[in-house]
Amino acid sequence: MRAARAIAAVELRRFLRDRSNIFFVFIFPLLLVLVIGSQFGGDGGNGRVAIAGADSELGTAIATALVDDGVSVTRGGADSVRQQVARGRTDVGLFISAAAATAYDAGAPVVLEIVPGAQQGSPATVQRVRVAVAGVTVERGQVAALVGAGLGEDAALAALADAEAATTPPELRVVDVDRLTQEFDGLGQFDLGASGELLLFVFLASLAGSSTLIQTRRLGVMARTLAAPVSAGQALAGQALGRFTIAIFQGAYIMVATSLLFGVSWGNLWLSLLVLATFSAVAAGAAMVIGSVLDNDGAASGIGIGLGLVLAALGGCMLPLELFPETLRTVAHITPHAWAYDAFAEIQRRDGTLVDILPQLGVLAAMAAVLLALGTWSLRRSMARAL
Amino acid sequence: MRQLWTMTASDLRQRVRDRSVIIFALVVPLALMFVFNLTSGGAANLTLKPVTVAVSAPAGDDLATAITATLTQVEGIDLTVDEVSADDARSSARSGDAELGVVIPAGFGDAVRAGKEVVVEVTEGEDSGIESDIVLTVVQGVLTQLSAGAVTAAAGAGAGVPDAQLAALAQQAATQAPEITLTQGEAASEQLSSSAALIAGQAGLFLLFTVGFGVLGLVAEREQGTLARLRSMPMRPWLIVTAKGLVSYILGVVATSVLLTLGSMFFDVSFGSPVAVAVLILCAVAAATSLMFIIARVARTAEQASVLQSILALLLGIAGGAFFPLNTTGFLDVVVGLNPIAAFTRGLGITSGGGGLGDIGVPVMLMLGFAVVGLAASRLVPDRGRDL
Repeated sequence: MRAARAIAAVELRRFLRDRSNIFFVFIFPLLLVLVIGSQFGGDGGNGRVAIAGADSELGTAIATALVDDGVSVTRGGADSVRQQVARGRTDVGLFISAAAATAYDAGAPVVLEIVPGAQQGSPATVQRVRVAVAGVTVERGQVAALVGAGLGEDAALAALADAEAATTPPELRVVDVDRLTQEFDGLGQFDLGASGELLLFVFLASLAGSSTLIQTRRLGVMARTLAAPVSAGQALAGQALGRFTIAIFQGAYIMVATSLLFGVSWGNLWLSLLVLATFSAVAAGAAMVIGSVLDNDGAASGIGIGLGLVLAALGGCMLPLELFPETLRTVAHITPHAWAYDAFAEIQRRDGTLVDILPQLGVLAAMAAVLLALGTWSLRRSMARAL
Repeated sequence: MRQLWTMTASDLRQRVRDRSVIIFALVVPLALMFVFNLTSGGAANLTLKPVTVAVSAPAGDDLATAITATLTQVEGIDLTVDEVSADDARSSARSGDAELGVVIPAGFGDAVRAGKEVVVEVTEGEDSGIESDIVLTVVQGVLTQLSAGAVTAAAGAGAGVPDAQLAALAQQAATQAPEITLTQGEAASEQLSSSAALIAGQAGLFLLFTVGFGVLGLVAEREQGTLARLRSMPMRPWLIVTAKGLVSYILGVVATSVLLTLGSMFFDVSFGSPVAVAVLILCAVAAATSLMFIIARVARTAEQASVLQSILALLLGIAGGAFFPLNTTGFLDVVVGLNPIAAFTRGLGITSGGGGLGDIGVPVMLMLGFAVVGLAASRLVPDRGRDL
């Protein structure tokens, strides 16, 4: 075991000395967590509206009503708003002409142009704009009605203020919110992105590293190791342990850095580490298989990166599994990523215990056992092969 | 000229035999397109699905009826209203028979008129989507209107308006408001559909890997000593560099054209005018190749070059929206807009929206500008590897 540990330590040192890894291992994952978190994790979930037109009472009133409704509002020139809608930078463009602003100030009927974008959320945002616009004139209608009944305008406003204070408006309460909302409830802005990135990078770093196994064979390092008083089993265990150590190192770094920098909550730390360790074993096994089956390191790193990205996408690391169509969610579970994703979801979102994640851990352990056995066997065979 | 072609052809042959160019330029991006398209397939559907809303409203309550009536008149969405009992409203939303279950409690109208607390309870079904959001917004809008009417009536009562007029007063509050009409305008669409955006993004991202197989070969040849041997041949040194650039350019154009063609066939999207798309591809490959010349000068070893290339490819790819559209504003938006991948995607958005050669001026200028600046910079940055 000491020989295996020494080989693993050398592998980790080589990995850390490679300066190119500074970016891919230490900076890039955090950059992605930051980008994904700031793009998808924030609120303003009720859509985006760009309002065009000079500052006016009408514009301000509509903007305030929309913001109160949780819509994010930007103002701009007509051309820029049209461009934003065309490019999908906003869900809805609302155009307030100078004539419309004047008509509103004069209490006359107003016509506004609304331009919905082509993206998914636009229809709902259009509806929010309709409601906001309808709400803007409510007070004027109230005053007009009271003035019609013989009150002075000031008296009407005062009476309305009194009545408003004494009234509780009817409340709309949404119970039993849908599965997705419940699923993502209680997740911090960066939490979802972080667990996905963790899995993506642990696997990607392992697979991309499979080319070092090929170099190890080509440069005769394996042969020289075996010339020392080290058995083939120890040398192979050392390689496997080396891959595993690197995978765990990458994962642990992302866990520590995201929790320190972005306040990501990893739930029960020991359970999360256990999931990471099992997943890392799968990644190490896969790296050994690729590094021993292929003899060309260019092709190995191509396949490694390609497979790393494809499996991650299929396993829910880029788009959350919960958003997948039903059948695909089942298919996704051929990837270790999906199982680990489920386990993290259990721990992070539902305070899962060891018992809750046993099924996922079991599947991951089985995958790891198969891949490590296969990798060791094919590495042993590949050592006899000329490069 | 013959020498240039011999070197280019020999390199191209070598690259095609070397499986890594096929893997990086075609297999991986196509596989990613398939997987992304599968995973986001459900979310990409733009049409609003028909929704059923199960409503339980107390009989003879005119304000509750107002809510039901408004629901039947929602524009732009195929909405069915089922009037049921309160328990049925909740259970049909839970079982998936209805997307939403709305329960208006008994005494709703009286409570609203009296300004007393009252709750309209909505149960959201399992797979409620954007359609449910629209319905919720509508219901909230009606509640606001009803409450405004009640407040007006209460204000009237407080100010001494006779009781008989109060009901009419509540009505008038809604009708006498100055009307704001919304007319729907059409936006020019410069957006790619989500499938098309994936194809364009992946093609752009992997273009930055593909073009590396030509120019970055310079660094590898220098390491292997073959560059020195080439230089000893009776030909001008710039021919060697040009040949590598040509290899990059040809590989880039072929790979990107194949990816866009296969992608649009498999996923049934159209990028519009083939001529305009071809121009975009030529410009994008020029920009990407110029970037490789900078890397070839800065990198000392082939390994450094490939690392630098991957870093720049991923950064530009992500900023260009290869994985998901980035929402940037202000200064950041300008910076992201200078990115050739972003310009390429934007150009394809214009052509797929029906734009022709005359409309893609901005992205074409951006990419060509990037190419010119890139090539100039590659002459100016210090040559860290010597002899290039």
